[in-house]
Parts: sequence; C-alpha cells; structure tokens
Amino acid sequence: MTKVEAIVQPSRFEAVKEVLTELGIGGMTISDVRGHGRQKGHTEVYRGREYTVDLLPKIKIEIVIPDNLVDAAIDAILQSASTGKIGDGKIFVSKVDQAIRIRNQERGVAAL
Amino acid sequence: MKLESRNSSLHDLFTEESARIQQRFEDSADGKADIRDRTSLIDTVVIALWNGVAAVGGPVDGFCIAALGGYGRRGLFPYSDIDLLFLCEKEGREEFLSKKAIAPLSQSLWDLHLRVSPTTRTLAECGKLHRSNIEFNISLLDCRYICGDEKLYERLRTRVLPGVVIRESENLMQELTGLARQRHQKYGQTIFHLEPNIKDGPGGLRDYQVACWLAQIAELKRSREWKEPAQLLPAPLRADAANAIDFLDAVRCFLHYRQGRDLNVLTYELQREAALRGIGLRAGQSESPNDWMRAYFRQARAILRLTTSFDEVPRAKSFWSRLAGARLSPLSTTDFNVTYGRISLHKPDSVEDANVMFRLFELVGQDDLKLMAETENAVEAALPRIQKWLSTAPDLWMYFRRILALPYAAAALRAMHRVGLLDLLFKEFRAIDSLVIRDYHHRYTVDEHSFVTIENLHSLASKNDGFDRRFRDIRATLEHPDLLYLSLLFHDVGKGMPNESHVEGSLEAVQGVFERLRLDSVSREMVTFLIANHLRMSATLLRRDIFDPEAVHDFAKVVGTVEHLKMLTLFTYADIKAVNPEALTPWKAEMLWQLYAATENYLNRSVDDQRMYLAGEDARELERLIPTGEGAGEADRFRNFLDGFPRRYLLTHSPGEISAHYRMYKRLGHSDADISITKRDQYYELVLATQDRPFLFTKLTGTVASWGMNILKADAYANKNGIALDVVRFADRFHTLDNNPPEIVRLKQQLMAVISGELDVSILMRRKFQPEKRPPKVNVETRIHMDNECSSHSTVVEIVTLDRPGLLYDISSTFAEHGFNIEVGLIDTEGGIATDVFYVTQNGAKLTSARQQELQSELQHRF
Repeated sequence: MTKVEAIVQPSRFEAVKEVLTELGIGGMTISDVRGHGRQKGHTEVYRGREYTVDLLPKIKIEIVIPDNLVDAAIDAILQSASTGKIGDGKIFVSKVDQAIRIRNQERGVAAL
Repeated sequence: MKLESRNSSLHDLFTEESARIQQRFEDSADGKADIRDRTSLIDTVVIALWNGVAAVGGPVDGFCIAALGGYGRRGLFPYSDIDLLFLCEKEGREEFLSKKAIAPLSQSLWDLHLRVSPTTRTLAECGKLHRSNIEFNISLLDCRYICGDEKLYERLRTRVLPGVVIRESENLMQELTGLARQRHQKYGQTIFHLEPNIKDGPGGLRDYQVACWLAQIAELKRSREWKEPAQLLPAPLRADAANAIDFLDAVRCFLHYRQGRDLNVLTYELQREAALRGIGLRAGQSESPNDWMRAYFRQARAILRLTTSFDEVPRAKSFWSRLAGARLSPLSTTDFNVTYGRISLHKPDSVEDANVMFRLFELVGQDDLKLMAETENAVEAALPRIQKWLSTAPDLWMYFRRILALPYAAAALRAMHRVGLLDLLFKEFRAIDSLVIRDYHHRYTVDEHSFVTIENLHSLASKNDGFDRRFRDIRATLEHPDLLYLSLLFHDVGKGMPNESHVEGSLEAVQGVFERLRLDSVSREMVTFLIANHLRMSATLLRRDIFDPEAVHDFAKVVGTVEHLKMLTLFTYADIKAVNPEALTPWKAEMLWQLYAATENYLNRSVDDQRMYLAGEDARELERLIPTGEGAGEADRFRNFLDGFPRRYLLTHSPGEISAHYRMYKRLGHSDADISITKRDQYYELVLATQDRPFLFTKLTGTVASWGMNILKADAYANKNGIALDVVRFADRFHTLDNNPPEIVRLKQQLMAVISGELDVSILMRRKFQPEKRPPKVNVETRIHMDNECSSHSTVVEIVTLDRPGLLYDISSTFAEHGFNIEVGLIDTEGGIATDVFYVTQNGAKLTSARQQELQSELQHRF
C-alpha cells in the first residue's frame, strides 16, 4: 500500500478529484492548507496598507491506494493539477505498513 | 407458586399484546394509538400482579400504586421507562410493604423484561418540594391511579398535590423553565440539527410537556382543579401543537421500534426510512427525505412557539433584585411595555395600525427583544387589517428598510415570520418556509439560512479581531446596506420554486417584491445583480486561481464597480457562514478577502485604461444608452459626450443621471460651465461640466472647502474631447445650505466665477476657510503609494490619510503647482479616513521617479 499526498491549487482540486474518481479511487482525505515552497510570498497594497501574502492557499489530497494504482494516480494528478506555472504544488509518495478499518477491524488492502 | 404461574400467563399475554400493538403501528403508523394501547396493556399487567399479591398476602391497607410521568399521561412509548409510585399513607410501614407488596410486584415486572422505575413515598413526602429531585415533583403532575387504596390516591390527588403545587408554584415554574433553558443550551438553542433529538431537543416532546405543566400549575393555582393540560395551552397555538404532537408521537414510536431501545435521535438513515413510510404524515404517504424533514421542522417550530411562555416565568432572583421588583424597561413606550426583555401591548388591538405593527418589530430588531405570547396572538389577530392596509399600496419599503437596518434585524424577521407577517408582506417567502436542503453541510432550513445570513452581517459590527474585522470594515463603508439585506432575504427563494436553477427562480420571484416595495430602478439593479451573481464569488474562489491577474480581471469585469464588489463580498461572506457555523473556515475567509482586495485594487487602478471608445467594441453598448426619441444629430452628440469616458462612469451612474449630465454638457454651448447641486439623504451632490483646464479640480475643491463643506467622495473624469465632468459629494458641516437653500445659487455663482478666473481660489481659502477645531477621533498614519505599472499612461498616486476639511484642495493644488494633470480622480472617505486615488500625468506622460520623489516629499510636508 502507498500513501500519495498531493498539494494542489484550490482551482485544480475539482479536476484532480474527478480523474482520481475515474480511476476508481473514491476514498480520499481533503484538507485546506496554507504554505509556500519556492513560490514564496509577495507583498500587496490594499488601500495604502501593505500586506504580505506569505502563505498561499492550497488543498491537500491524501489517498492510500494499492501499489498497482500508484503510477496511474500520480500521472492523473500531474495531468490534472498542472498549469505550468510556479505554485502548482507537489506530490509526496510514501509506503504504508498497515491499514485497519475501525468498524470491523479489516486489515490491509481490504480496509482501503 | 400461584404468583409464578400467573406470571407465566401474564408473560404470554404481554408478549402477544406487545407484538399486536407493534404490528398495528407497522400497519398504520399511528403513534397515539400505540402509546395509548401500550399504557392500557401495562395497566392490565400491573393490576393483575397486584391482584396476585393481594390474593397471596391478603388485603393491604394504606397503600396504592399510581403511574407517573409518560405512563401516567397514558403516553408510554415502546421502550420508555415505566414510572410507578408506591404510595404509603404513613411512615414506618415501608419495610412491611416492601416485603409484602413492592418487592414481589417489582420483581415480577422485571421478570417480564419491563424497565420499571419504582418510587416509594409517603403521602407527606409527596406534599413537599424536593429541590434536589425536582423531577419527582414534576412527575407527580401526571400521576394516575392504577390499583390499591383508592381513597389514599384521592387524598393525594385532591388535597396533597394541589397544596404543594399552589404553595410552591413559583419555585416549580422556575425550576421547570430553568431545566428547559439548560436543555436548550445543550442543543445550541436551535431546532436546526441534522440529526435532531425529538424528545429533548428544542421543539421536541419535552418542550410540549413543559408547556403543559406550566399551564397546569397556573390553572391549579387559579382554580384548584385538575384540567386536561392540552386544553389549557394558548388557544391560537393549540391546534398546531396537537398536530405536532401526533407527528412526534409517531416518530418516537418508529425510532423505538427500529432501534429496540429508548433512543430518540432522528438519525440521517432513519430520516430516509421514516420518509419512505410517511411516518407522522396524515395519509402515511411516501415523501422524499427533504419534504419529510420539512414537515418535521414545521412541527418542531409549532412546539417551539409554545416555549414563548417559558421566558414569561421570572427567573429565580437574588434578594436585592426581588426587592427591586419587576421594573419596566426604559425601552417601554406609549404603545409597548418591555419587561424582562419581552414586549407586551398596552392595547392588544393597537397593532391593527400598521405604524404600530412595524414599530413593534423595530423594537424587536433594535434590542433583540421577544414578544410575549399574548403579543404574538394580538399580531396574528391583526393580520387581516394589515392585509387591507397593504391593498392601499403604502410605502412599504420605508417601513421595511428600517427593520432591515437594525442591529437585530434577523430576530425581528424571525418574529415576523413566526406570526405570519413576513409571509403576508411577501408571499414569495412562503416557498422556502421550513424548506430543507438535506446534506451534511446545510444545517439550517432555507428560511432560517436566509435569516442567519442577515444576522452574520449585523453581528460583524461587534467583531474586533480575526478575519471578521476586515469584513466589518468593508460593511462600515456600504452606501446602501439595506439593499444587501433585502437581497439576502430573497436570494434563495428560488429553491422552493420549480425552476431548474434556483437563481433564476429567485430573480423571477423578486420581481413581485420590487413591485410591492416600489423600489427605484437603481435599487432593483443592485438587488438583481447580487442575487444573479451570489454564487459567482465563491465559484471564483474555488475554481480559479485568485492570484492569477487574468482571473481577477475576469471577475472584476463581472463586478464592474467597487460598490458592487463590496456588496458581493459581504454577501458571499454571510452566505457561506450561514450554511453551518463552521463553513467559513479561516482559510476560505482569507481567500475571500484576498480576492476582494485584488479586485478592489484592479478596479481602482485600471480606471484610466478602461475607457469607452466609439471606435472600439463599445460602440454597441454606447448605442443602448442614447436617449430614446432623439434625432440622428442628437444621437451623434450624445456619443461624442461619452466617447473616451472611463467605463467606471457608466457603471457608477444610472441612465437617468447620465441623461442629466448630458443635458448639462449640451448647455455648455451657451456658457463656460454648468453646475448642479442636489440634496441627497445625508449629503449634497455637486456636478460640474466644463472644458478641462489646469487647476480645475483645485478650483472646485477649494471653493467647496471655503464654504465650510467637507468633501466625502469625488470622481473626476474627462472625455476624449477634453470635457471634464466632476462629481463631488460633500457634507454641509455648518448647515449653511440646509438652513439657507438660496445659498446654493450663490455657491454656484461663486464657483462659476472661480472657474472663469474672476475670483482667485487661494484668496477664497485664506479668507473663508475654517479648519476643523476639534481634535481628530482617530490617528491615521499618512501613506502615499505611487505606481507606474498599473496604468498604461498615468502614474497612480494613492493617498491614505486622516480626512479633514480642505484636504483635497491641498492635494490637488500640490499637483497643479507642480504642473501635473489629474486624468482621473477617485476620492473616498471611510470612517474619518480619506483614501484618494489619482491618475496623474505630466505633459501627457507618466511621472519620472525623480518627479515622484519630489511629489512624495511635498505631499508628506503638507500632511
């Protein structure tokens, strides 16, 4: 099992969700997050006052999937989340040792 | 041995009868019949067991068994506890009775798997108030004889209980309402829960019982007689409450049978099944879960109306406050009394006068007061007269806008809705009465959601920190907040209409509202814009990259003006927040504000580039504005007038205003300048049309300031042919024009003389100008921001500083003295802070950085 975490632009979230659902990946955890990578922040002026946009809004999608779906999922995210601009986000991939469904204590891929 | 064999046959009887009762409920879904039959069954069982005990041990004197609580009311739900009172005449016999009767009887009931809650008390104990177990005193209000010494029970019922209830009525009522308040607090004071508890939640069965108990205590005190409590409830609410109880009885039976336990939470899954079976509905027909929950909320609301009487019971008070007594609030008027936050009427029929009726709800909206039950009844009784009054086509908007603008407008609207006044004024609102959007996001019914949106905006006034503060500041600058509230009230009425899109439905419905309120065309345009676009900003937030200038540009194009933007931003804020209390996360609020700020900046910093040209693609749009009935020559002249004006001019002025400006432009053929001064609500508006020239804006602002006027807003435009149109809004600080209207003519004459050069504005300022003598209320650090990027051919100078009379003259004369030309000026004052944006050029080009520095230090020096 593999955990894929994708940090994407809020505006690309619907597209990413759609392609993952098409792949049969229905279960996902979504969070509103803020942060910055190389995109860094920038300074804006509003009514004469400066304010810094240092943490930019992003959406984090977390999915845990069987290993055979990982490449397809990553490709799908790359295609649907990319605008070609800085700030498009990142994907983190990591191994998962175990998954347990709390309701019936199923384990492994069956619990996904 | 004899009792055991009796128990066995009783067990069979109980099992068979229970199954029969359940089956009948499954067939008919008749909750009332179920709880009545179940009560009779338990009565049969208890009496049979009692007879068995008496048969084995001989007669038992000075002892009887009574039913308490729900069982006593003959309303025993399938898995409810069976509350039994073992009543002894005197102390000292408890042990004997326990062995002889209570223990064997209770044990037999437990053996039948019945959940018995036995209570053993003497007659004297029943006659005392038990503060630590007030529930016992309350349960006695529903006691009912089952078996044993009947005379003993009669003494309890006719002497002991009336005695304690009459003696302790105040304490009992306070305890009862205190417990109800705690219960409501636990459920967030609202009937609106995704999975409501139909027994203990607000608008649930317990509220109905509390209303009945209060009525019964009051009646016992009055007449010393026991009466059917349902008949003691306020007459106008009785029928609705009875229907609601029938509904809830059926639902509670359904919940018990489905879960096999005394669980009263109407879960999401069980809502679907109850809807499918039409539980509680008259014909038992199937409904969609949404419609079934709509029926549930209507019934819960009917019960909740009974709780109005809870607040009329004075709370337990300290000695000192008791000494002070129930004082009338200073909010009381000649028509209304206000006591403990509740309004009563001096004369019940006074609300037949529409003026009094609206003043009543203004009082609610001003101080978050509540109507007493009798006031609500009087309002309902007066509705036919109000309907008659409506047929005389009154100025309804004048009345209604006053309520919308009040700090607790949502409370007033809720009260108006509850008594049917809101629906009488606006039949469109009925479409969303208790309408449910059944998903995990929407907590409220659509009507309540609409009220919460308005509440969210009004509550901004008290927010001093976090992201709310930013939205509070925007709200403080709105020109027509009443139109925003009106839009919020009707933005979702389309959800109750058959239209494919609810936005279309709402726009269709709101036309009737416009007619009834007789709104002017500018107000209609604003409300229409807000309703039509109320989903656009959240869609932009979530589907576009708000840091992409293209997305901001597209959004700004839809919004058009800063006033539209402010209204739409606050609309979106209030709308998202009213979906459920957690829906507007800090993340979303930040995104919303970022989009607002970026669009506001775009709208203010792109004015110079966003111009309308005849030769371009705007020709068709300009064509639309040509006054009808004009000849070809006139049409050309009109086009020439508009050619090259910033788009903002068309967006911020109504067709009527543009026509008036055009007429001024036409008169320029006969004079050097044309000036109009009009009194508006809180300010005067001066419009000047003339050939653009150096120092023009300085002359205008200097003359106005020298008359003691404080400029609040100003727009300075020029068209392609060099015709300047300046629109200035000013406050009359010394009421010069208010008290002497002929002075308007003299102000115009003096301005004409200054423009033509006959009078020197600097001399006028020296002679007449009176600076503000009072110290400023706020301290504002002056900020000057210059930008050579956002306009293609001007330098944008943005100045934020403390507003003061003569400020604009100082700024514009600084520009003029340096030989700078103001291409466009946007002047705004918000809460004592001036935010002025100028598009400045020198010799037709942007300012060099050296000139910018020079200007910056000169302006800093002047402030």
